[in-house]
Amino acid sequence: MDYLQLMGFGPNGWGYGMLAATGMTVAVALCGYLIGSVLGSLGAAAAFSRFMPLRAIAGFYTTVLRGIPDLLVIYLFYFGSSSVISAVGALFGAEGFVGAPAFLTGAMAIGVVSGAYQMQVFRGAVLALPKGEIEAARAYGMPSFLLFRRIILPQAARFAIPGMGNVWQLVLKESALISVIGLVEIMRQSQIGAGSTRQPFSFYLTAGALYLLITFVSGRGFRLAERRAMRGVRRAA
Amino acid sequence: MPDPAKTPAVQLSNIRKSYGEHEVLHGVSLTANEGDVISILGSSGSGKSTLLRCINMLEVPNAGSVSIHGEAITLDQKPGQPPRARDMRQVNRLRAKAAMVFQSFNLWSHLTILENLIEAPVYVLKRDRKEAIAEAEALLARVGIAEKRHAYPAHLSGGQQQRAAIARALAMHPSVMLFDEPTSALDPELVGEVLKVMRDLAAEGRTMLIVTHEMGFARDVSTRTVFLHNGVIEEEGAPAEVFENPRSDRFRQFISRDH
Amino acid sequence: MVIDFPFLWESFTTLLNGVPLTLQLTALSVVTGAVLAVLLALMRVSNRWWLDLPAQAYIFVFRGTPLLVQIYIIYYGLSQFPELRHSILWPFLRQAYWCAALALALNTAAYSAEIIRGGLLSVPAGQIEAARATGMSGFLLMRRIIFPQALRQMLPGYSNEIILMVKSTALASTVTLMEVTGIAAKLISQSYRPIEVFICAGAIYLAINFIVVRAFAALEYALSPERRPAPASTADQPEKARA
Repeated sequence: MDYLQLMGFGPNGWGYGMLAATGMTVAVALCGYLIGSVLGSLGAAAAFSRFMPLRAIAGFYTTVLRGIPDLLVIYLFYFGSSSVISAVGALFGAEGFVGAPAFLTGAMAIGVVSGAYQMQVFRGAVLALPKGEIEAARAYGMPSFLLFRRIILPQAARFAIPGMGNVWQLVLKESALISVIGLVEIMRQSQIGAGSTRQPFSFYLTAGALYLLITFVSGRGFRLAERRAMRGVRRAA
Repeated sequence: MPDPAKTPAVQLSNIRKSYGEHEVLHGVSLTANEGDVISILGSSGSGKSTLLRCINMLEVPNAGSVSIHGEAITLDQKPGQPPRARDMRQVNRLRAKAAMVFQSFNLWSHLTILENLIEAPVYVLKRDRKEAIAEAEALLARVGIAEKRHAYPAHLSGGQQQRAAIARALAMHPSVMLFDEPTSALDPELVGEVLKVMRDLAAEGRTMLIVTHEMGFARDVSTRTVFLHNGVIEEEGAPAEVFENPRSDRFRQFISRDH
Repeated sequence: MVIDFPFLWESFTTLLNGVPLTLQLTALSVVTGAVLAVLLALMRVSNRWWLDLPAQAYIFVFRGTPLLVQIYIIYYGLSQFPELRHSILWPFLRQAYWCAALALALNTAAYSAEIIRGGLLSVPAGQIEAARATGMSGFLLMRRIIFPQALRQMLPGYSNEIILMVKSTALASTVTLMEVTGIAAKLISQSYRPIEVFICAGAIYLAINFIVVRAFAALEYALSPERRPAPASTADQPEKARA
């Protein structure tokens, strides 16, 4: 069977399978990314807190999660939640190991890791804010929430876009690791295909091409967003 | 109800401000009546900018009181604690009346010039957006940069940015205007265009407090000159008087220096 | 949840057995990757499109795809070709160890090349001009003026990249290698005690990365004499250059 037939949409083709798996990769990455955004903004808020223990927790979170392998975090989440589920199952008479839902645990693991990176991005964006402009807003009588909504948020968002783009690329590539806990995304689907056709090179090469396509397209998207957001900023001559 | 004509626009009594151990204002009192144009002079480190920033609570004084149009700002000044304003809603209401113009312009860089002018009127004063836009365009025409209304601050020269910042202040319908070294960040050839706008405002009878290094402007335009040195007022009076016959040696030295 | 301390200690000592492999894979891939990265970076700044373009393509592909794909292509994928299975390379490519090291090296080369390029471009044009004005050019200019400055400029980025590599070696466990994460996965699936094992393995990685960070900070300090406070007088500075 030649390559085009193998990856085609014919009766023996793996096209639909790979396409569905691509959708799964994007879905799990997106969920993880959003969870990470929530954790990252909470972490950044904690890092700027006046309350020392909150700052310490935020610092610990971002240092630890950026210092250990993502794969280890995925194992922790999968086996951790599985053992909780198994323990609960045992109470109701179920026996043995019950696996946790791979999508949920995978998205959570990616979320917790990317949150540590997004926290750094948000922190940097807030630190980059021009102090004088915030002072001007205060001098014009803006209460804190209005100031945050009208001046800080739009500017910080602008400074955060490039970093957020980098974290998204990271998350997309990280999502491949979820294949180890059985979620059928691009990588797992390729393993299945490689196993049953004995054509591993064709499948993994296709997987690589699919990732490249997603990272390329979303990279373009982020660059467009950056250009739109950077209106009003003097470009280097 | 006090008579508005007699109530001072700004009254500072015995203001003290310190950073840690270091006290920069040692009890300064200053009153600005309606229509006063007060220039505040002094070398760097004299505390003149700090004094101006105490009026709108960008700096909260450790001791002393601030009143704007007879309304005293309620302050918590307990020893051993950083001073703070008790009621931020009151502070914000009064800040909207005392519009400030900054040395480094501080136009909001993510908004166009027109958006900068209507931002606080629409969101702080809750004015009608259409009216705010119409008024903003008139103000931009008045300071001579009507054609820049859709440009972003970064695309304007320093002089144009400062004129836009003055228009932004005027859009608040302020009863007092605070200028914090408005020409110090400008190239010499751009200073004139900003001073001209400020001269016109003074001629209208607006109440203005101006921290400045422009001696000529202080002498010609202001109704009163205040010279601050090491956190106390060394010399105060009508410019014609103090520039001709300075009582303080330090002020004599200060004005004889080439500025 | 109660933490079982004897089990914690046992896990820790078991996991330590994986540290040599983790360090070996890191060192092997960082060193090989650095050589390739310098080459790629020079191609990128060469101003010749036929050198720049292939380097760009390489970097785009290796940075745009997951490391796991790269490892799988090399370890599982290459066996699809009988020609390769009969070549002299096969004794290497058959082994998970060499495949993982190769994939890691190719991967880090792409990221490091951009860090090195950034360092090279950070050298002020005026300094290069000044060197040219004294008659320096080519390799001499590179070695005496550009490289020493670029090296310092790229140290923080490169230290980050090495930490990423330490973390990336965990993927070697997916191709059967028993480095720290591989042992951790095995321990977890045997004991069903993910938390204890995770704490031990995490602590080991954090310790390794801490050492990397400190080493690079020391190196940066050593390479930046002009950022230190100036000596009180020149008299108490021996002539190091001649010593």
